[in-house]
Amino acid sequence: MTFRLRTIDQTADGREIVREKDLGQPALTVGRAAENDVHLPDLAVEAQHARIADSGDGRVRVEAVGTLGFTLDGRATTSALIDSRSGAELRFGSYRISVARAEDGAVLLTIQPAGAAAEPLDEKRAFSLARSLPGKRAMAWLLGLAILGLFLAWPIASNLTRAPKQSVRGDASWNPGPLSLAHHALTDNCESCHVRAFEAVRSETCQTCHKDVHDHAQPSRMAGAREVPGLGGRFLESVAHSFGKPGPGACVDCHTEHEGAGPMQPTREKFCADCHGTLDQRLRDTRLGNAADFGKVHPQFRPLVATIPGAKPDARVSLGGDAREASGLTFPHRKHLDALGGATRMAMSLGRYGKALGCSDCHHPTEDGVRFKPVEMIRDCESCHSLDYDMVGPTSRTLRHGDIAQMTADLSAADRHVEPIVIGRRRPGEFAAGGRYFSRFSPPVSGAARIGQALSRDGVCGECHTPVFRGGQWTVVPVGQPARYMQHGWFSHRPLRHREGRGPLGRDCAGCHAATTSTTSADLLLPDLKQCRTCHLGESTTLANKTPSGCAMCHGYHPTVAAPRSPWPNAKRAATLRQGGT
Amino acid sequence: MADAGHEGFLRHRGFRWLKLALAASFIALLGYIFADVGPHPNGGTWYGYTLGTIGALLIVWLALLGIRKRAMTRGKWSLKAWTSAHVYLGLALIVIATLHTGFQFGWNVHTLAYALMVLVIASGIFGIVAYATLPATLSNNREQMTQTQMVEALRATDRQLLDAAQPLPQHAADRVRIALAQDAFGGSLLRRLSGNYPACATQRAIEQFNTEDPAVAADPAVIRVEALLNRRKALLERMRRHLRLKGLLEVWLFVHVPATFALLAALTAHVVSVFYYW
Repeated sequence: MTFRLRTIDQTADGREIVREKDLGQPALTVGRAAENDVHLPDLAVEAQHARIADSGDGRVRVEAVGTLGFTLDGRATTSALIDSRSGAELRFGSYRISVARAEDGAVLLTIQPAGAAAEPLDEKRAFSLARSLPGKRAMAWLLGLAILGLFLAWPIASNLTRAPKQSVRGDASWNPGPLSLAHHALTDNCESCHVRAFEAVRSETCQTCHKDVHDHAQPSRMAGAREVPGLGGRFLESVAHSFGKPGPGACVDCHTEHEGAGPMQPTREKFCADCHGTLDQRLRDTRLGNAADFGKVHPQFRPLVATIPGAKPDARVSLGGDAREASGLTFPHRKHLDALGGATRMAMSLGRYGKALGCSDCHHPTEDGVRFKPVEMIRDCESCHSLDYDMVGPTSRTLRHGDIAQMTADLSAADRHVEPIVIGRRRPGEFAAGGRYFSRFSPPVSGAARIGQALSRDGVCGECHTPVFRGGQWTVVPVGQPARYMQHGWFSHRPLRHREGRGPLGRDCAGCHAATTSTTSADLLLPDLKQCRTCHLGESTTLANKTPSGCAMCHGYHPTVAAPRSPWPNAKRAATLRQGGT
Repeated sequence: MADAGHEGFLRHRGFRWLKLALAASFIALLGYIFADVGPHPNGGTWYGYTLGTIGALLIVWLALLGIRKRAMTRGKWSLKAWTSAHVYLGLALIVIATLHTGFQFGWNVHTLAYALMVLVIASGIFGIVAYATLPATLSNNREQMTQTQMVEALRATDRQLLDAAQPLPQHAADRVRIALAQDAFGGSLLRRLSGNYPACATQRAIEQFNTEDPAVAADPAVIRVEALLNRRKALLERMRRHLRLKGLLEVWLFVHVPATFALLAALTAHVVSVFYYW
């Protein structure tokens, strides 16, 4: 077998010199020493470095003879068997020897200095991801500056440079959460509440719109009533003050915002209990009972009632006992509601009712469903308590209710020959001639006598009213029908559960109002604290079938005649808003 | 007992920082449950401000590892201790910052800061897992070759291919030319991380030679080129596995570092905006 050595050298000007030499020997020596067949003048090559021997069938064996190895196809080794047909590349120091087969079957060894043809490779960078990705530093700067510009510099610049009344741009990203329903329209006008930079929202700002909000009580009383915070509380207060937070007692102390769309959340019980829970310890002259939790600490209800019939309500009476009021009316509820009583029989005989009388036959709710309208005599009583006093043919003549002068005139001028007239009201089912239930006020006597009779205790007026002689003439005591008994607490009949009245006494109205056992209209038929607690306990209750009821359910902090701020009346609108409505 | 002398940053001093981080998280959680704040727990209550301050300081300190790591020291405040604390306190930050939010999230700069923080922590967790599992695989794949040797081997094969392909007809020579022209380090991020190169020209050349006319295929020059192409492909596959593992070891930092800077920016915007509109 023949080894063909092809040596490629380069001249100083880069020209290649190729020399070929055939060696017909079975093995070649490689080394730095000049006597080697393959002489490699490199100090990294040993004097006797390796031996390349014919291994038959076109294969050659390369063996390192010294201590240093060589590189075969980029890999360090000390021995290798190479098929010259598939070829290989050897490396000794700075020299490269490629092994191949010439066309005539000789093994061709091409020897040339390495590095001449190698293009430089930035290996660290090539193997790193930096080649496939933008640089970390560049991305860091880009992202950081973009965020600072977009979410900080832009809103601040807009805030500082805007014209008066122009809204700040770019600050939507600062909004930590949706505003409540009441302030929904201010969502894009952050500066309407956040007036000055780095200054907490102040009560004066709230009061630019909420002009007629009254304070809870006199500031001096409130200051005295407020519970002195503990050590931790005082520390927190001092920190808050040193950062310029307003309070205590600032609007934002209770009215927190950005808590989610929907109604503003009702103030928690704890805010009230801070003062009212132990109020008597600090305001010793207070007439208010302590209140901290509706289920546990709450004074008995004390509705405002009239003590003089017909006069303005003038006194607070405590419920829970034998609470009475002077309504000026004689009306025994029991007699009307007794299923076996005369009133029921009469109602059943009238087509209008057809059954026993119920509460709703006389009591009609207001349009908003919160309260009840006053009972009106003509609408609610007159179908039984007839005011007819005369018949002319088939037509009856009726007294005008509520107008004593008119009544006096009518009766004075009535036909003296009145016939036939029933005396008094008869039992149900009996009829006077020509019609039902009309009264004979007197036997046919003079008008004056009739008037006297009508206004007597047994007369048609005196049946329900209290006649008095006042100002030289007979009249009746005015009737008081208060629309609202609780002046500082809110109650609505509207919730279904209130209407169904699943109270301690039963269902419907009677569940809360003990009307069926009341024999006099002086009875104050309001449910007391204990009755309300059948369903309502304090905010923290977890009992089944009990409604957690914070103070704000019935009470408002700012004195007003309207309902306290609560989530209920606006629930429908809140639902609309959540669905993207307006 | 080979690794008895080595204690990595994860188990530094018997998991000292893991214990500290767990304790901090637990205390933060207890505080969240029992702190008397109203009406809702959020970043604006006294407890929220407390957690927020701790969280912000923690974020800044965690980011300082980028500076600290450039100075290796030993002893009590060694870089290893610092790294261990970085990992575990960074994980505790998830608890502290989440409680700071009071679970109120929205499309705003505040939640952006939170999301970036979660991204930074998640990429950090990926990095920890990668560092714990990949180096052994990387080492096995290399089979004691250095990166330089890998490149050299490929180059040696390429040179032989170039020589061997000289006698080939033009259409076959073109295949080799295209295979040689393809950059071994090219390929997108996705290619690098998946190790899957469907457009590999060497692979295509091999397939084309496989379906070559038998008369041409019997040519010794073609046989030699095919053998070299197969060797080149084997080398490429090893290198691609190497690139993939190296990429996986590295890629989290390309998220971790830029996201950290984005987080620092968002955190600044968050803090300033909250007090700007107080």
